[in-house]
Amino acid sequence: MTRRKLEATRACVCVLLVMALAGCGRAPVGRSAFVDHNPLPPDTMTARMDEPGEHGGRFVVGATSSPKTLNALIANEQNSNDVCNLLYDSLTGTDNTTQEDIPALAKSWKWSSDGCTVTFQLRRGARFSDGHPITAEDVKFSFDVATDDSLPTVGKDGLSYVDPATGRHAKFRFEVLDSLRFSVTSPKPYAMMLSSVGAVRILPKHVLESAWKSGRFVSAYGIGTPPAQLVTSGAWRLSEFVTDQKVVLERNPWWYGVDARGRRLPYLDQVVFVIARDQNVAAMKFHAGELDGLDNVRPEDYRGYEQAREREQYTFYDIGPSLNTNFLWFNLNLAGSDTAGVRAGQPLVGPVKFAWFDNPVFRRAVSMAIDRDALIRGPFRGYAIKNWQLLTRGSRVWNDTTVTGDDYDPAGARRLLAGLGWRDRNGDGVIEDAKGNPVRFSMMTNADNTVRMDMLTLIVDDLAKIGIRVTPAPLEMSALLGHTRSDLRYDACLLGLGSASPADPGMYPNVIKSSGLTHYWRSRQPVPSTPEEARMDALFERNVYTADLQVRHRTYHDIAALMNQQAWFVWLPTQLMRLPVRARFGNVHPTPIPNRILWNADRVFVRRTAGAN
Amino acid sequence: MRALVLRRLLHVIPLLLGISALTFLLLHLAPGDPFAAMAENPQISAETLARMRHDFGLDRPAWVQYLLYLRNIALRGDFGQSFAYHQPVARVLFARLGNTLLLAGAAALVTWGLAIPLGVLAAVRTRTWVDRTLSLVAFAGLSVPEVISGLALLYLAARTGWFPIGGMHSLDAGELGAWGRFVDLLRHLVLPALVVGIVPLASRMRQMRAGMLDVLSLDYVTTARAKGLPEPAVIGRHALRTALNPMITLFGLTLGSLLSGSFIAEFIFNWPGLGTITLEAIQRQDQYVVLGAVTMAATVLVLGNLVADVLLAIADPRIAHE
Amino acid sequence: MSDPAGVRVVTGGRAWRALAANRVAMAGAALLALLYALALLAPFLAPYGENDIDRARFCHPPTTVHWRSVTGRFGPFVRATRVADPAALRYVEVPAGELPLRWFVRGAPYRLLGLVPCERHLFGVAAPGRVLLLGADPLGRCELTRLLYGAQVSLTVGLVGILISFTLGMLFGGIAGYWGGIADVLMMRGTEVLLSVPALYLVLALRGAFPVDMPSRRVYLGIVAILALVGWAGLARVIRGMVLAIRGADYVLAAEALGMSRWRVLVRHILPNTLSFVIVAATVAVPGYILGEVFLSFLGMGVQEPAASWGNMLQQSRNLDVMVNYPWMLFAPAAAIFVTVLAFNFFGDGLRDALDPRQGPGGNR
Repeated sequence: MTRRKLEATRACVCVLLVMALAGCGRAPVGRSAFVDHNPLPPDTMTARMDEPGEHGGRFVVGATSSPKTLNALIANEQNSNDVCNLLYDSLTGTDNTTQEDIPALAKSWKWSSDGCTVTFQLRRGARFSDGHPITAEDVKFSFDVATDDSLPTVGKDGLSYVDPATGRHAKFRFEVLDSLRFSVTSPKPYAMMLSSVGAVRILPKHVLESAWKSGRFVSAYGIGTPPAQLVTSGAWRLSEFVTDQKVVLERNPWWYGVDARGRRLPYLDQVVFVIARDQNVAAMKFHAGELDGLDNVRPEDYRGYEQAREREQYTFYDIGPSLNTNFLWFNLNLAGSDTAGVRAGQPLVGPVKFAWFDNPVFRRAVSMAIDRDALIRGPFRGYAIKNWQLLTRGSRVWNDTTVTGDDYDPAGARRLLAGLGWRDRNGDGVIEDAKGNPVRFSMMTNADNTVRMDMLTLIVDDLAKIGIRVTPAPLEMSALLGHTRSDLRYDACLLGLGSASPADPGMYPNVIKSSGLTHYWRSRQPVPSTPEEARMDALFERNVYTADLQVRHRTYHDIAALMNQQAWFVWLPTQLMRLPVRARFGNVHPTPIPNRILWNADRVFVRRTAGAN
Repeated sequence: MRALVLRRLLHVIPLLLGISALTFLLLHLAPGDPFAAMAENPQISAETLARMRHDFGLDRPAWVQYLLYLRNIALRGDFGQSFAYHQPVARVLFARLGNTLLLAGAAALVTWGLAIPLGVLAAVRTRTWVDRTLSLVAFAGLSVPEVISGLALLYLAARTGWFPIGGMHSLDAGELGAWGRFVDLLRHLVLPALVVGIVPLASRMRQMRAGMLDVLSLDYVTTARAKGLPEPAVIGRHALRTALNPMITLFGLTLGSLLSGSFIAEFIFNWPGLGTITLEAIQRQDQYVVLGAVTMAATVLVLGNLVADVLLAIADPRIAHE
Repeated sequence: MSDPAGVRVVTGGRAWRALAANRVAMAGAALLALLYALALLAPFLAPYGENDIDRARFCHPPTTVHWRSVTGRFGPFVRATRVADPAALRYVEVPAGELPLRWFVRGAPYRLLGLVPCERHLFGVAAPGRVLLLGADPLGRCELTRLLYGAQVSLTVGLVGILISFTLGMLFGGIAGYWGGIADVLMMRGTEVLLSVPALYLVLALRGAFPVDMPSRRVYLGIVAILALVGWAGLARVIRGMVLAIRGADYVLAAEALGMSRWRVLVRHILPNTLSFVIVAATVAVPGYILGEVFLSFLGMGVQEPAASWGNMLQQSRNLDVMVNYPWMLFAPAAAIFVTVLAFNFFGDGLRDALDPRQGPGGNR
């Protein structure tokens, strides 16, 4: 009986939504008659959009794993961040299409003449989802929590100044000027100021202060928090959270965003994240109409999405190069202390391998041995481009097309190695170095990533052709990171770096600086070990502690060029991203920056098509 | 009987200690870092990470961590905090255990619901084509890896729309009535339970067949037949009851294997159970979640054995006094 | 005939006759013999090397064998192909490009049976062309070749595994059962702990502890060892139970009275009496190892690329896109696993019926 009732509801919905006629009409949440009960704030934000939409409907997106927490300041992995990005706003936001900083909770900001202080003017009348006003006190509270050393918050490193001479961190100064004005001061002009500020989500002081004071902040807003108690500052609030199944968000009735006609946003009644761990399940759910969009699709699945596009009425967006990079590097780390057969200060890979790996000529020869076109055709199914720098072509602002590295040239690679006196003396197909050691080593990658695994297999084959014998070592991710970060016991590694926020060289202190943790090839150097390393450090300082964009671009170019000249990273292709989204949604603009589809969820709406009632 | 249960329960304590110690040891053998996920964030500094490790007590020797873990359980019933969820382990795991048990129970129903009648049928029609076909089908079911049968069933669900594609509830299950929700849950349960339940079917069926064959050759069955009782009555009323006795023990003993058997199905069918979260926890080195999950699973296993013993003792009073 | 352990000692001759009469079991045995022969001769039977990557044939479909050429010549040949659609990796046959199948062709060098250096392969086609009877994988490697090499891994994983687990199981079970006392208590508590930790977690944790640059052969042995380590405890308990019963038997008491050392009594008189059970249990345990490797591959922890195993081939193709567009990559390993496991179960079942008609569990995994 009940099922029949459900069918009846479905039928009604189908009449309302023409899309549902063709699709399936699995969405009983039809076009609700949205009535705005709350007064609009004096300072609304008019969202930029293609076309004004209609209220109602919902968007169901697939997620690869359940959020671990909905505490935006503690969340440290993608699935939690994706949800938190919708639940909470920051002072500034990012327009993913232009990749520029835009106003959010702060309607404007002003820099001081020395470029060290930025003062934010908050929106009048902005409110949390419980109707409580958002003031500078809430902002101050959020920044204090974010920089609390006793908490595992991730944003704090961007909110302190590191003295290049002493390496000491000094926190920025956060000040409440009045109830709607808030300022942040750094000791030096700091190019990353707005991005760092934008990374701090504003949480309600009146709800969370007691938890912070009593040391319970980390577990606040966790998986067990009742939706009603989860007070948010963004366009959405929590409606239902069932771990490992779904997260349902609904409209925050107090949000400050409006469309061009002055109607309150968001348009959609609900945004639902459905957890589909297995990519096959996600794909089938999408094809069956249970999902409206997928945030993450593997190149090997593109063909399937291309085929069903017309029939299932979705758009398979081409959103261009990913911001994620792929590269390999060689382990040049020295032992910090005497460990398992290696004396302090000695290379962890042993003197023989270190002599190879430390030689830029060898590293460039490896780069020249790799047939990147084959990598693109095979593992990426043609959907990739060559990339030679930290900020891929996906970064509109930073990618520098003049930077290139050593591309496929096996003959050239052989010449370089012969120049070092390396050749195959005993005819076993493996070259020996000048001292007669056969050149063989292992290379790790994370086994769960099929694209990287296939790349590794092809690279092993490529290197065998110039006489270098590589043993592939596919590892599970946390084991791999244990090696790259903790014990540093490995030869070489194929990995990638992602970027969650709009890419900027200033986001990569740990990669670029010789003291950084993810300066993989030789991490945490107490002092720069070579003149080139020292140069990198200096270039990074100049890049970040300035307000002059031209200086920043020049120094970024120099960093990228130096990295290629040294071949510390041997760059590999970057994926061209494609994402499927149902065609019935308007104002959809997927971008390579997460949330790839729902970054502008407040503007997305269900299109009313001609012929519908 | 009470003595038996008490003795067995006391027995469980050193067992769980051993299990947790073993798990702890294994966790520390594996390389890795509980803060692995953060490594993907290039902005987080070495100092911050070191501080977090200290705050979570990860910089202490493993045995100290283990003793502290035991102390917290003994004193406060605190099974530790999840590094990923920042929540008490019990809260993270409890709902999952229920889901896994539900799946395991449904799978057991599939296995036994098919094994007993089919086993009896095979015994009654022994060495005929019925017997052979049944064993062939059961063995075939056993020979398909769950990885494949799961994918195939999902594909079937996707093509036909007869069943939902993974998960445990429909998105709008909340709007259905109690009965509707129940039906919805059942629809989600069918395919994973089938995948898990079909695996042990062959051996259970063979055991049932063998047991039944044994009983059918006993004197009293012959007597019953000689008395002219109709065959269904002989089988149903007399033989089956005796033949079921050993199966009862087996049922308890196989509860545990169902638990780890449901793992792949959980993953493939997106079933929010203990297996999925444990795998994730192992990968992230979320050690207290792993410890908690293993202890939970082991407890279920041990209780399953206990239930088997008790059932057997009820069925056969001699055992209790042994 | 029957001893106190309830272990039937079926005389060899009768058991053989019973087994030979069981047609299903014999079919299983014959199939297994064939499969093992294929695995043994894999490098010769396979037209290419295990890791011959062909960058022009990513995801190439199976090549059709034609018999009658345009010129009217009769004999097996394949046609050369060209890429029809680079994005979809679609290939079409070139009508003119006839490549006759040749026997005993020269190809990738290998060592036959691991000893004799050799470079002849059973069949093949002239060099730039390729014969891909089961198609190619995403890296253009011949699927048939990898299936044959994978058989070497997948078919031996079980044999090595039971060798380890049954040695351990018989040893520990025997000692615990025969000596008794503190050894018994310790061992039985130990096995209880092992049995109570769900096998999955044990496997995952142990697998994680492998060193990075472990060569794939050693990884393979390590995986077998892990699976065996999980498997021996249950067996040890059964053996212990049997030994407990046997140790009171007359012939054991007689041997003891004759002053035989206990060790010798155990090995010479007690354990042999558990053998019929052990043989049956071992046969039905093998599929467990094959599927165990599949399971580990599913988690990305099995035998690793570039070495082929049925598990990692299956995992690589366990994908909706493959299922729809490149089904050969999925069906080949799936069929191989299915047939092998089925054959083992048929054979094991027949063996049980023959040796011990009433005992024991059915299929195992």
